[in-house]
Amino acid sequence: MNAEDVAGELARRAPGQWELYRKTAESREWETAAGATRVSWNREEGWAARWWREGGPRFAAASSAARLVPAIQTADTTAMSDTPAPEWPSRNVPARAAEDPLPEPATELFADLSRAIAAASRAEASLASLAVRSGRASERLVNAAGLDVSQELRLVDGLARCVARRGARARETRIPFRWDAAPDLDALARRLADAATLPLSDRPAPISSGQWLLDPAVGAALLSSLTPLFVTDRPPRWLVRGALLPPAFAIVDDASRDAAYDGEGVPTRRTVLVEDGAVAGRLLDLMGARRTGHRSTGHGVRPSYRLPPRAAPRRLFFEAADAVAPSELLPSVTRGLFAAALTAPPRVDVDADRYEIEFTGISIAAGRATGPVAGARSSGRLSELLRRIRRASTDLQFFPMPYPCGSPTLLIERASFD
Amino acid sequence: MGRGTEIAEVFGEDLGELALDWVDGEVREVRVRREEGVAARRRAEGEERFVFVSGSGEPAVREAIRALRAESGGEPLPIRASRTADPEADALFPEADRWTRRLMGALARYAPRHALTFRIRETRRRVIGDGRRSASSVRRLVSLEGRFTAASRAGDERRPFAFHAPDSDAVADELKTRLAAAAAPRDRPVPPPAGPTDVILAAGCAAIFFHEVLGHPLEADADTSPYRNLPDARLSVHDLDVRDDPRRLDLFGGYETDDEGTAPRAVRLVLSGRLGSRLTDRTHGGAVGSTGHGRRAGPADAPRPRGSNVLVAPGSADTEEMLRRLGNGLWIEELSGGSVEIASGGFRLRFPRARRVRRGGLADEVGGGVLAGEMLASLSAVEPAFGREQRVHRSFGWCARDGHLVPVGGAAPDVLLRRLTVRPDA
Repeated sequence: MNAEDVAGELARRAPGQWELYRKTAESREWETAAGATRVSWNREEGWAARWWREGGPRFAAASSAARLVPAIQTADTTAMSDTPAPEWPSRNVPARAAEDPLPEPATELFADLSRAIAAASRAEASLASLAVRSGRASERLVNAAGLDVSQELRLVDGLARCVARRGARARETRIPFRWDAAPDLDALARRLADAATLPLSDRPAPISSGQWLLDPAVGAALLSSLTPLFVTDRPPRWLVRGALLPPAFAIVDDASRDAAYDGEGVPTRRTVLVEDGAVAGRLLDLMGARRTGHRSTGHGVRPSYRLPPRAAPRRLFFEAADAVAPSELLPSVTRGLFAAALTAPPRVDVDADRYEIEFTGISIAAGRATGPVAGARSSGRLSELLRRIRRASTDLQFFPMPYPCGSPTLLIERASFD
Repeated sequence: MGRGTEIAEVFGEDLGELALDWVDGEVREVRVRREEGVAARRRAEGEERFVFVSGSGEPAVREAIRALRAESGGEPLPIRASRTADPEADALFPEADRWTRRLMGALARYAPRHALTFRIRETRRRVIGDGRRSASSVRRLVSLEGRFTAASRAGDERRPFAFHAPDSDAVADELKTRLAAAAAPRDRPVPPPAGPTDVILAAGCAAIFFHEVLGHPLEADADTSPYRNLPDARLSVHDLDVRDDPRRLDLFGGYETDDEGTAPRAVRLVLSGRLGSRLTDRTHGGAVGSTGHGRRAGPADAPRPRGSNVLVAPGSADTEEMLRRLGNGLWIEELSGGSVEIASGGFRLRFPRARRVRRGGLADEVGGGVLAGEMLASLSAVEPAFGREQRVHRSFGWCARDGHLVPVGGAAPDVLLRRLTVRPDA
């Protein structure tokens, strides 16, 4: 059983309305904790078929072509409601093979990161475990319209766990990371140290309202939680006039540097979602394009071969027209809080126009840090929060959400805290 | 493969899943998944090597062992032609039609407007270990989760719904009963009171509380758990008995052998108010061996010590007595999630709705919020009165840790907790 056999089976069942995806991936992972190490090697193969027959979308996934066919047969038996098939893309790009071995991680990463955390936390925090994964995947997608594209993807990511102790109290934090270039251990160490040690201060927020400075990691989490705004067919009522941010800000998705195609074989391109503060576009996969009468923006994302593609961000980030150097933002805070790290996932209800963000950080007065804040919460109307973003710095950084999501340091006026 | 105190195993898994997306009485998407994989592990002197390859049968086993030997620096196995048998054309989920008809009827009657996903998952696992140790297991799990619109006294209301149970003859009827109860008319909720509040966790949802504050910190690899320094300490009232029992196959987290091939045993997490034992796998079992809690999230994941079914021993109090003891507070029958930060001991439980209790009587409906507390303080604030009936909580289904998802379950009587902090939803 091979790809041609499966394609033949799909063509017989759903003439003109099918696609076949194949992925082979190899990864190596090194996990180090106190006194123990684990080295893993993983070779995964995945096949996925999607087709329209008697009304609706059907999807089957399997770890081999031979197993995919019975899965297709099973998925083909259930009666479904009518959902129009998308317009399939067509393009041929010859496959590109890469056989170079996976890179070995630097063996001293654990020791280097441990030292950086100790320095950033004045020895209050220590690295408890570090897992680093280096992987590559080859994808091939063919469909009934004659599409046949292939691409190779590479990824280095991981998870670091840090524990801080002060007296009898302890705090643990876990931070996933992704390295698109050389590892930035100092930045990761600072994030781990802040997230683990600041909550140990026991000092509550000294103010109930003021300016709010968001670390890029917190800004990225806020941006990621806005995703439903960009994939929904019906924007919430509060967004009817389209103004989401102040005019100097934009939100863009551009995964061109990550992959040439999305999970449906549509070429990757820059998509402006918010321009001059107003909503200007949305993320469309093939189904969304069919529903709205537009072209796909290349955002059919397959989180895994096990799931059908869905409209989702691929590399989402803020852009600011008048960004300033990070060192210029702090002096502009007369009275406020700096959110260094989240203490819980942000809760954002875009339909109800509500948000709630719990964070740990530092209080600021007259442009100077005045002390740690163990925990604070900001909640209220999402629309107001976004319109009160005043300035951004030039330090755009990306964080795995799990797709890369980027934000610079953001300054928000008139936030309320409790 | 194994020698001395080393651990060496080969794991095989065949996973099949059928998922149907239901929207307002119609199936909008069908998904079928068939995944096979072979993993091999060798552990010696604090170092573990783990490999995974997609596939099944002799070719995949040989490839996994060959890769493991190469990773461990051993002599490579000779490559020889394997017998490649075509997978049998077995029918997947022949009962899918029957389930579709049942769901159509139940949803039309109790929740005609909905967006729900129905899943049947069958997992077949086999372990071949050192010393010719071998075990196999099969589990079939059924889930229905999502949201539906209920016509309540105050107008339409969107409600979450989750039901997770092992497949059995009775599961369809139980699902129908739970759906009917979830769709029952209710009053318009008001925001819950903020701040320190006494609560009764009813309808078995106390299992989630104990899963967070006892189960996770007693997983043997929880190296920052405060319980590590408190062996046999008195944590709670004398009447409190909590155990983790994978042998309860009627619960979502049950199994006959764990994913390392060990026959599981019930582990007392708290016995007569005193701290009990840890949940171990082969790696962390020490001299007494594994308790049978080595669990893998998927074919490509290594075993880790994880909890299964949390069971809280019932007491003798009826509902009236529990409400009288509570006096004023909240009556919570549903928790939609929980988390714990083990090092600090802080935990959170999210409730989608509750009933206010005033002077020992059920009063108005309140909306959702978060219950927060510290695990040692909360255990010491458990009231020495427990409901007389141990109820299975079917909303409790999957537990994620470091991205690894395993099925879990639980059953508990009504439990009264003092001084938890309530934070209403924003």
